[in-house]
Amino acid sequence: MGQFIIRRTLYAIATLFILSLTIFLVVRLTGDPVMLLAEPGAQEEDLELVRKEWGLDRPLPVQYAAFVKNILTGELGQSFNYEMPVSTLYFQRLPNSLELALAATLISFLIGIPTGIISAVRVNSVWDHVGKTIALLGLSVPGFWLGLVMILVFSVWLGWLPTSGQGGWRNLVMPSVALGWYFAASLLRLTRSSMLEVLRSEYIKLARLKGLPAFVVIAVHAFKNALIPVLTLAGINLVIMLNAAVIIEVIFAWPGIGRLLYEGIFQRDFPLVQGIVMEAGVMIVVINLMVDILYAYIDPRIRLTR
Amino acid sequence: MQRDGSHSSRMALGRRSVLAAGAGTLTSLQWGTSTAHAAPAGKVTLAWHTNIAARWLDPQQHDGTASPDNFLMAMHDGLIKNFRDKLYDHTALAERFEFAEDAKSATFWLRSGAKFHDGSPVTPADVQWSYEHYHGAWGEVLREQTQSVEVVDDKTVRFHFKDPFLDFPILFGTANVCGAGWVVPAKYYREVGQSGFLRKPIGAGPYRLVSHEPGVKIEFEAFSDYYRPVGIRQLTMMSIPEAATRVAMLERGEADIIYFVPGELIDRVKNNSKLRLAPVVSGNWWLEFPGFQNPSSPFHDKRVRQAISLAINRDAINDAECGGMGVVDGNWINNDVEYGMEWPKWPYDLNKARQLMAEAGHPSGFNVDWVTPTPNYYSRGERIVSQLQAIGIKSKLQVMERGVFLKRLQGGLKEWPGVQIIFAATRIGGTWSNWYDTHFKCGGFNAKDFFCVKQLDDMFTKYQASYDRSERKRLAEQIQRTMLEEYYFVPVFRHAFVNAIGPRIAASKWQDVFPTITTGYCYPWEDIRLV
Repeated sequence: MGQFIIRRTLYAIATLFILSLTIFLVVRLTGDPVMLLAEPGAQEEDLELVRKEWGLDRPLPVQYAAFVKNILTGELGQSFNYEMPVSTLYFQRLPNSLELALAATLISFLIGIPTGIISAVRVNSVWDHVGKTIALLGLSVPGFWLGLVMILVFSVWLGWLPTSGQGGWRNLVMPSVALGWYFAASLLRLTRSSMLEVLRSEYIKLARLKGLPAFVVIAVHAFKNALIPVLTLAGINLVIMLNAAVIIEVIFAWPGIGRLLYEGIFQRDFPLVQGIVMEAGVMIVVINLMVDILYAYIDPRIRLTR
Repeated sequence: MQRDGSHSSRMALGRRSVLAAGAGTLTSLQWGTSTAHAAPAGKVTLAWHTNIAARWLDPQQHDGTASPDNFLMAMHDGLIKNFRDKLYDHTALAERFEFAEDAKSATFWLRSGAKFHDGSPVTPADVQWSYEHYHGAWGEVLREQTQSVEVVDDKTVRFHFKDPFLDFPILFGTANVCGAGWVVPAKYYREVGQSGFLRKPIGAGPYRLVSHEPGVKIEFEAFSDYYRPVGIRQLTMMSIPEAATRVAMLERGEADIIYFVPGELIDRVKNNSKLRLAPVVSGNWWLEFPGFQNPSSPFHDKRVRQAISLAINRDAINDAECGGMGVVDGNWINNDVEYGMEWPKWPYDLNKARQLMAEAGHPSGFNVDWVTPTPNYYSRGERIVSQLQAIGIKSKLQVMERGVFLKRLQGGLKEWPGVQIIFAATRIGGTWSNWYDTHFKCGGFNAKDFFCVKQLDDMFTKYQASYDRSERKRLAEQIQRTMLEEYYFVPVFRHAFVNAIGPRIAASKWQDVFPTITTGYCYPWEDIRLV
C-alpha cells in the first residue's frame, strides 16, 4: 500500500509539472503582455523597463523557475491588470464560485441521480426514455442558451428571480441550474449505466431471490455500490464547476473564478491565468490522488494490478 | 503675414479666455449655494458594457479612449472639462482660467473650498504634481511643450509653455482624450503608489468610492463637500458584459441606465413603454488598412481601397446595428469638433467595385487574414466580413478584449502582421487634430507606423506650428480632403451609441440624462435624479 501511495504521488507530481510547464508556455504564445502593461504611448525603453519590472526580460527557464517557486511557496504572482496578488484575487472570488458550484452540484444530484436510478430500474420503459431525453438535452443544450432563456422567462416575463449578480438565494437559482444542467446529464448517464451493471450482478439476483423488498434491493444493495463511480465523477465535476464556469459566470455577471479567468485571458494577464489554471489543476490532481488511494484501500486488487 | 495671423489668433484666444473666465464666474454663482439644494437620495445602478479596468479609476493612467471618462467624471474632477454643451472649457475645480494672448501660458484660479474625498483641500501643488507625473495619453506631447508649472500662490497655478500651445486647453479639458488636467491628491498618491491608488482611489469628484470589486462592481456615494449639488446618494456601476442580461436588468428595474443596446435588442427596448432608448449619435466608424504603404499590400492600390468603400452597404449596417438611428455621413471625423468637415455620403455600387478590383488585378478578390472590429462591437465586424465577400475579399473575424485591442494598436505594425483590416472607431472631443494625431499621423498614439503618409504629416506639422486660424482651417480641410479622396481611410458611419434608461430616472427626454455632447455616457453624474 505504501509503495502504491508513493507511486501515485509521484504520478501526481509529474502531472502537475507537465501542467505547469504547459500553461506557462501556452499563455506566452498569446503575445507580449508588456503591450498591455506599459502606459499608452510608451517607447521601446519604457517597454523594456516594464519587462524588467515584471521579470519578463529574464530567460524563460528562469521565469519558469520563479513561477514554480511561487507556487511552492503558495504565491501565485502579481496580476498585471489588477496590480494585486493573484492569490488575493483568487481567494476573493473562490467563495462565490464555491457557492455557485455547490448549488449546481446539488441541482445535478437532484436531477441526475434519481432520474438515472429510475431509468435503470425501469429500463426501456417510458421512464427510461424520459431519462434518456433529459440526458440528451442536458448534453446538447448549451448552458449559455439555457441561461439566457431562463433570464427571459423567470426574470423578465414572470418576474420571479433577479437577472444576475450575487445576492440572496434567488440570485443563485438560475446560474446554478444553467451550470448544473450539463453535469446533471452526465451524472444521469453514469448513474444509469452503473446501476444497470450492478442490477445485473449475482448478489442482486440473490437478494431478490431471498425475497427482499424491491426498494431495499435498489436503495441499499444496488445503489450503494453503483454510487462509487458517480461520486468520483461528482467530485471532478465540482472542481470543474468551481474553476471553469466561464460562460455562465459572464452571462449571470457572477463574480467567480470563471469570470476572473475570462478577464485574465482577454487581458493577457499571465500570472492570473497561470494561477487559476494551476489552482484548478492542483485540485483535480489531489482529488484524483485521494480517490485512487481510497479505491486501493477499499479494493486491494487495484493496488496489485496498477 | 504670420504676425498678423498670430495676432488674429491671439485675439480669438483672448475672447475665448474672457468667455471662459466669465462662464466660470457664472458657474460659481449658480452652484455656489449647494447647501440650499435637496440632499442626495436614492440609488442608481449603471450596467456597464465591458469589463471594468482598474486603471480607469486613475486619471494618471488615462488611456486616451472614451472609456475612462465615464468613471473619472464620477469620482474625479478636472480644472476644466467637457460638460454638457461645453466642449472642453467648463470650469470645474478652477473657478476661472486665463489662456494667455500669446498662447505661451495658462493660469488657473482654484475654486475656494474644493476638497478631495479625504477632506484635504485641492491645492495648486496637487495640480502641479498631477500634471508633472501624468503618464497617460498625450503625456509626452504635454511634457515636450511644457516649460514649467508654477505655483503662484495658494489658489493659483500657471503653466508655461516653450512655444505657443494653442491646443493646450482642448487637451487639458477633454476627459475622453487626456487626463492631465484631472487632479489627484499628490501626497496620498505618493504615499500609496500607483497600485495602492488603484485599490483605493481618492478624487475630488461628486462621488466618493465606497467599495470596489475589481472587474465586477464599483459602488460610490455622494460626496457631501462637492461644490455642486449631487442628486443621487448611492451610485453603483456594474460590469455586465452580456447585452441580453443588461436589457433584462433594465426591464426588471435592477439597473436604471444601461450602456450599449446592440441592434438585435433595440426593438425589445423600443417596444417596452416603461423604457426609453437613448441613441446618442456618437463615435465614427471607419476601415483602416495597416501597412497599405507597403507595395506588397493589396491595399497599396487606391482602386482596391475605393472598391472596398463601394462594396460597403452603410445603410444596412446602420439599420442592423443601430436601428437606423446612426448617421451615414462621409467623414471619419465627427463634425462636432473644431474643423471637422462635412462630407457627402459615399455611394454603394457593387458593379463598380468589382470593376475596380479587376482593374487592380484582383478579379477574384484576395484573402485578408483578419478583420478586427473595435471591441466589443463584434457583429459589426461580421457585417464587414460578409459584405466584402461580394467583391471576392475573403476574410476572418478577429475579436479582442478592448484593452488588448488598444494596446495592440499602440504596438504598431508588428502587432498586425499580414493583410489586415481594422474596423476602427472613436469619439474624440475638442478638435479634428486630436483625431488625426491619434489615428493617422506617423507615430500617432493609435497609428504608430500603420500609415505614415509624409505629405500629410508635413502639412499637419505646419498646421501645428501655425498660429493663423485661417491657415490652420485651410490645412485641416486639405488634409481631411486628401485622406478621403485617396481612401486612406474608408468611413462607414457615425453610430448611435444606443443606451437605455429605466423608469425611475427623472427625464422628460433622453437628452436630459445624456446631456454632454462630447460623449456617449450620461455624465455629469451629479445631475442624474430619480423621479
